[in-house]
Amino acid sequence: MDDRTLLSRRKLLHYLAATGVIAAADLAWWDEPLIAPKKAWGATPVRFQWSVPEPTRIALMNSLAERFNQSQSDFAVQIEYVPQAQARQKLISSITGGNPPDLCQAWDNWIGQFNGMGAVEDITARAKAWKHYADVVPNAWQTVTINDKITSLPLAVTLDGIFYRTDRLKELGIKQPEPDWTWDDFLSIAKALTKTDKNQYGFGMRGSGTWALLYPSEFCYANGAEVLRDGKVVINSKEAIDALTWYLDLALKHKVVPPSVATDGFVEIVEAFGRGVTSMYLHNSGSTGQQKKNVGIDNFATIPLPIGPAKKRASFWFSETLTMFKGSKNKDGAWAFMSFLLEDEPSLKYNSTLGLLPARKSIIDRPEFSKDPAQAGFINSFPIGVVSPYLAYPGWGGKIDSDGVPLIQQAILGKIPAKDCLDRFAEILKKEMT
Amino acid sequence: MTSLSLSTPRSRPLISWRVRKLLIGYSYLVPAALCLLATVVVPIFFAVKMSLYADVLYKPQDYRFIGLGNYIRLLYDPVFWLTLQNSVVWVFGSVFLQFIFGFAAALLLQQAFTGRALVRTLTLLPWIIPGVVVGLIWQWLYQPNYGVINDLLIRAGAMSERIAWLSSPDYAMAAVVFTNVWRGIPFFAIMLLAGLQAVPDELYEAAHVDGAGVLSRFWHITLPLLRPIIVVSTATRIIWTFNYADLIFVMTGGGPANATQITSTYTLTQAYATLDFGYAGALSVVLLIVMLAFTWAYLRVTKGIEEPE
Repeated sequence: MDDRTLLSRRKLLHYLAATGVIAAADLAWWDEPLIAPKKAWGATPVRFQWSVPEPTRIALMNSLAERFNQSQSDFAVQIEYVPQAQARQKLISSITGGNPPDLCQAWDNWIGQFNGMGAVEDITARAKAWKHYADVVPNAWQTVTINDKITSLPLAVTLDGIFYRTDRLKELGIKQPEPDWTWDDFLSIAKALTKTDKNQYGFGMRGSGTWALLYPSEFCYANGAEVLRDGKVVINSKEAIDALTWYLDLALKHKVVPPSVATDGFVEIVEAFGRGVTSMYLHNSGSTGQQKKNVGIDNFATIPLPIGPAKKRASFWFSETLTMFKGSKNKDGAWAFMSFLLEDEPSLKYNSTLGLLPARKSIIDRPEFSKDPAQAGFINSFPIGVVSPYLAYPGWGGKIDSDGVPLIQQAILGKIPAKDCLDRFAEILKKEMT
Repeated sequence: MTSLSLSTPRSRPLISWRVRKLLIGYSYLVPAALCLLATVVVPIFFAVKMSLYADVLYKPQDYRFIGLGNYIRLLYDPVFWLTLQNSVVWVFGSVFLQFIFGFAAALLLQQAFTGRALVRTLTLLPWIIPGVVVGLIWQWLYQPNYGVINDLLIRAGAMSERIAWLSSPDYAMAAVVFTNVWRGIPFFAIMLLAGLQAVPDELYEAAHVDGAGVLSRFWHITLPLLRPIIVVSTATRIIWTFNYADLIFVMTGGGPANATQITSTYTLTQAYATLDFGYAGALSVVLLIVMLAFTWAYLRVTKGIEEPE
């Protein structure tokens, strides 16, 4: 036999000894790959799923995780990056598969479903004992509370407001809108800003994604309608139908929206405004940073939604949350990191970089937010903010996407009237009230 | 003293050599069969089981056996029937045009010309690009306000008003089919080109000597010899396209107003938007049955065709 291929007893013993040493070394780091670098030797890992729609968010969260890992030696955050479009699916799959991350970033309208699956950790006790508990805006707590159980920490809060191009208003000699503007003011400005021959439109209406249905719902509230009243679905009330008819007429009758409206989602409405195709759009503060780059801080402003015929208006509250799962293998580490992200400096850094609003009152009052003209419309919307009614039942979030959005698209295209749209939508919501 | 030993007759082996040879042959198949079992058969079994239950992930307390409940619900779901119609347009529209243009491309690439190798490589590009990326690229090309397609058509005087290709129920399906055709042409081009290269030149030369024209040679030599490849590639492509959801999911999300909603995207929506895995399971099983029925019918119709004359 060839000596080179012969496995002698001595060689075998060497291999066994080496394998034993490696295995023993690995036992202490069961969750870690064998040769992975340890940022904080002795720290237990915290798996954190983070959705990444843009490079800024990657760099930002990397730096915050790095800061956290260096600030203590007990836990080491490992970020699992997931594209935003796949984030929810990935979480559902990992929950179903019994291996969720310790912590994730998620929108509050997903949490109802996760909670219904029995996957979300109740953090009420930790949150109430937390030193910043009283500093968090009550509405923000409400967005992350299900049946008196606090499910998440609100990393950022969002309210909707209208973005408008101040430079175009000046150019066309149109008066700047006042904070107490009305639907009539909104329509007349939208009409004045529309020049179809130049491919310019007054309003960037959203026809795709969850908010395609949520934005007209806000207009319904301005007309005195509600989604739920005394535990009953009333989104198909006369007030709601009138409001939706008025909203749809922006596309069907007045034609102040781009022709692509039926499939325009977040990216399209933000891009169209940035490129000068539209001069107003409805969104939360999350796109202020992008518009500062696209059109410049001096060329746009934000304002609360206009007042409706019922002398009311509403802006729906949502939260970007940090949520811990029951299946977490490191709950203390997850809590340490999520509460760290809501400390003064990380929260300020996170929200000011991304143009979001922090959930803590003492941070919102800082000049980075209170003196930012791009945030004025959203901060002034606090008094009219209501927690999104669509957070009431866990099944509603999914039904809006699967059934509600095609309905509103049909209405935007004029294929069904507002009444049919809302009657059918109300039926869908009623079936999911469990 | 002398000892006497008697020779004993050789005992018959327990398993004959023939059977043993057969078993050895089958044993080589075991790893592949196990892989198939684990990745195909078991998931199908679970999908069928799932379809018989009320299985909405956020309502674990409602999880129960409902027999054919999800299938009965399908019968009364107008969106499901719409998605089936849309799927037929999507599949046959895409594959028919991919085949025609792919065949034309294969015939062109078969000719000798300078830079043929480069052109052949470039032809593959749409096929190499991932489906999601293709969807995103074409979504921007179709963008009505600042997309290239509208801009070029207006500059060329072909139209005066911008068309919202993906937002109009009249154009959306045609637009996504066109994109899928663009992406699928290289598949047919390469498959058919490989077939064309296997056709002996002598046949064409003999036909030419006999006075056969271009069309006649194509009809009587090229087409019959390519039939096996045509049958297999179109069947494969039809099955892929029926299950292919990426492009539509990225470009329109099934909209506007379900105008481009096909059964596979609808299944995805039911599974991951409403978390109704029971209903999504029933949709998947129906997709499987439709595909099995189609494949059976297709193979029956083309029986004998797949072998060259």
